[in-house]
Amino acid sequence: MNLMDFLAAAPEMTLLGLICVVMIADLFIEDERRVHTFWLSMISLAITAAVLQATSPDTRVVIFDGSYVSDSLSQVLKLGAVLFVALAFLYARDYLRANDLNKGEFYLLGLFGLLGMMIMMSANSLLTMYLGLETLSLSLYALVAFDRNNVTSAESAMKFFVLGAIASGALLYGISWIYGVTGSIQFHEIYAAISADPSLNNLPLWFGLAFLIVGIAFKFGGVPFHMWLPDVYQGARTPVTLYLASAPKLAALALTLRILVDGLGGLHETWGTMIMVVAVLSLLVGNLVAIAQTNIKRMLGYSTIGHVGFILLAIFCGTAEGNAAALFYTLTYVVAAAGAFGVIVLMSRSGYDVELLTDFNGLNARSPWFALMMMFLMFSMAGVPPFIGFFAKLNVISAVLAAGFPGLAVLMVLVTVIGAFYYLKVIWFMYFEEAEDKAVLQASTDTRLVLSLNSVAVLALGIVPGWLLALCIDVLS
Amino acid sequence: MLQEYLPILIFLAIAAGIGMLLLALGFLIGRGQKDAEKLSPYECGFEAFDDSRMKFDVRYYLVAILFIIFDLEIAFLFPWAVSLDTVGKFGLISMGLFLAILVVGFIYEWKKGALEWD
Amino acid sequence: MLFHSILFYVFAAIMFGAALGVVFSRNPVHSVMLLVLTFFNAAVLWLMAEAEFLAIVLVLVYVGAVMVLFLFVVMMLDVNVEAAKRGLTRYAPFGIAIALLMVVELMQLIWLRSQVGDTVGGFVPNPEGYSNTKALGSVLYTEHVYAFEIAAVILLLAIIAAITLTMRKRPGLKVQNIAKQVGVRAKDRIRVVKMDAEKKS
Repeated sequence: MNLMDFLAAAPEMTLLGLICVVMIADLFIEDERRVHTFWLSMISLAITAAVLQATSPDTRVVIFDGSYVSDSLSQVLKLGAVLFVALAFLYARDYLRANDLNKGEFYLLGLFGLLGMMIMMSANSLLTMYLGLETLSLSLYALVAFDRNNVTSAESAMKFFVLGAIASGALLYGISWIYGVTGSIQFHEIYAAISADPSLNNLPLWFGLAFLIVGIAFKFGGVPFHMWLPDVYQGARTPVTLYLASAPKLAALALTLRILVDGLGGLHETWGTMIMVVAVLSLLVGNLVAIAQTNIKRMLGYSTIGHVGFILLAIFCGTAEGNAAALFYTLTYVVAAAGAFGVIVLMSRSGYDVELLTDFNGLNARSPWFALMMMFLMFSMAGVPPFIGFFAKLNVISAVLAAGFPGLAVLMVLVTVIGAFYYLKVIWFMYFEEAEDKAVLQASTDTRLVLSLNSVAVLALGIVPGWLLALCIDVLS
Repeated sequence: MLQEYLPILIFLAIAAGIGMLLLALGFLIGRGQKDAEKLSPYECGFEAFDDSRMKFDVRYYLVAILFIIFDLEIAFLFPWAVSLDTVGKFGLISMGLFLAILVVGFIYEWKKGALEWD
Repeated sequence: MLFHSILFYVFAAIMFGAALGVVFSRNPVHSVMLLVLTFFNAAVLWLMAEAEFLAIVLVLVYVGAVMVLFLFVVMMLDVNVEAAKRGLTRYAPFGIAIALLMVVELMQLIWLRSQVGDTVGGFVPNPEGYSNTKALGSVLYTEHVYAFEIAAVILLLAIIAAITLTMRKRPGLKVQNIAKQVGVRAKDRIRVVKMDAEKKS
């Protein structure tokens, strides 16, 4: 309880203030000059990133009576989230203009979602985590339903909302049990309470833990709580899917790491098994069902589930190495996902959304450069060396091996091989099929440049992965 | 603890008693000659055109949800008013920030025209 | 304390019955009314646990505002009652199985608790003059100020989301502009033309 705390939470406060500015400014901008809202949002993101850099903490800082923590993990995740939200905005801009969806609320809701993610990344108590999650979820529900005259969007938003509300309820129920048993909602106090009194490690605590895992698995999209994910990816308009598929994954990672490692690290043996079951099921269901998809957004949805399996298995290890591998995997996966959806957004033109895999037919003949970029991204997701996805998978596998689970490592290699099939299918369509529509892809220079950088990044990072891995290990030690 | 609610109980009993008494009086003294035609719904002397359960306009929903949001805001004000002497200047500032955030929302909805019916 | 327990069980039973009624009622408006009854009983239970503020807020916000919203939504939907009920009977066995499972788990927990012994201690009535509202206020605006401000952000977000999703501008709608009507002056409407009287021909 100190006024200085508001200054210490400067990134969130700045972002909130800037959101209010964008919100009021947007009211006075006419529809045909809506691009000003975009630029204002981008400036807000830049200022937020600058404030984040300027207030970078040297040590772990806990403020607001233990509600808020600022450490190197939150720092890396927040910078990542700001970057990916900016990418989503940039890729979305021309699409929104071409599809008569050009409303400032897209950027506003996106910024609010970012604020929710930042709150989650800095949460040091179950209450803060829950509120951050609700801020994020609420903006995502509204974003999915953004094109409100579109029946599929409305339907998927409805599914997302109802299931999301149930998952939030489960999470809250779990939180009350944990609070009831340990007598605290702050992660470090929960940790201390469990290590001080081993008798707490008993059925009531496990009961609450099970509900927490349900909530986490739902928000991440782990099997068997994944049902919403393909439908929402398919139903939402492509820029919204892009937003949904990128930065919120970092927030979901923060949710998992903060609750399971910071708070309930002492219960690793109990939650480990549950997480492992969810992870193995996600690996199998995600990769096998993705093969049967004909819709690219749905296919990438199932592929996301498969990737979530990897991330959860890394966390399952319960070692610092495993956690670092999870962070590395999430960061690199999100780079590839943002790029892949960016290409899909770019290919969609006014009145026509690229949805089917066959829409990629002959992309090489139309725009060889973007076909090459898409190939990079698909290779990275499939885990082909020397792209970054390969190192991400390798890290997880070695962490799992180091933790002593060779069977799981073999399973991961197997599903990677299965997964390669459907990623390569996209490449096959681009290079060896005939296009019906020969039109060259149109894009503004800045989108073209950033998308190219985004795609080349998966190759560049793959060639020099060392620094990012070192950063991940450093952050989590 | 429950004894403190005794006045409320008496109040409720009196309110319920008066309500029932008036209804009972109307029922007993009134000269109701009810038949099927008298009890059937009508619109200005005609047969009803439509079912009374017609669809509501979505605008009612917007009004209701904006009402709830500000209703919740007010719910936060009660404990603040009661505990103002203990929370002091810090409490004043935190409530100021809370209200400021919602005032921005109020400006937004006003300028956006969400408070206008047409 | 016995009287207290009896009251608790009576209100809890009514609440439980009303909650079942919400699910099984054939008419959605009846469901909403029964939900009001459920909330009301929950408020009474909170009152008995000396959480007066929460009880009042439950009545004020949920019964007063949220249920109005529910009624609007129910009226907006024009739901086909029969069709909705068909789904209920189909999924009922599965739902009941899940509910039973949860009940069994809870029973086990309570049983386990009784085996371990009463570690938490029973319900201790607060001293005379204790105000739940004041106790809540003294931590809500200081210790939990961060959560409190996030609550404001969520409310702000709700305003934007609701407006984005439901507000429609109708082009070409003819409306009265009352300010303009009031502000009108005689000289805007009629023009008095001076002209000479015509001669009789």
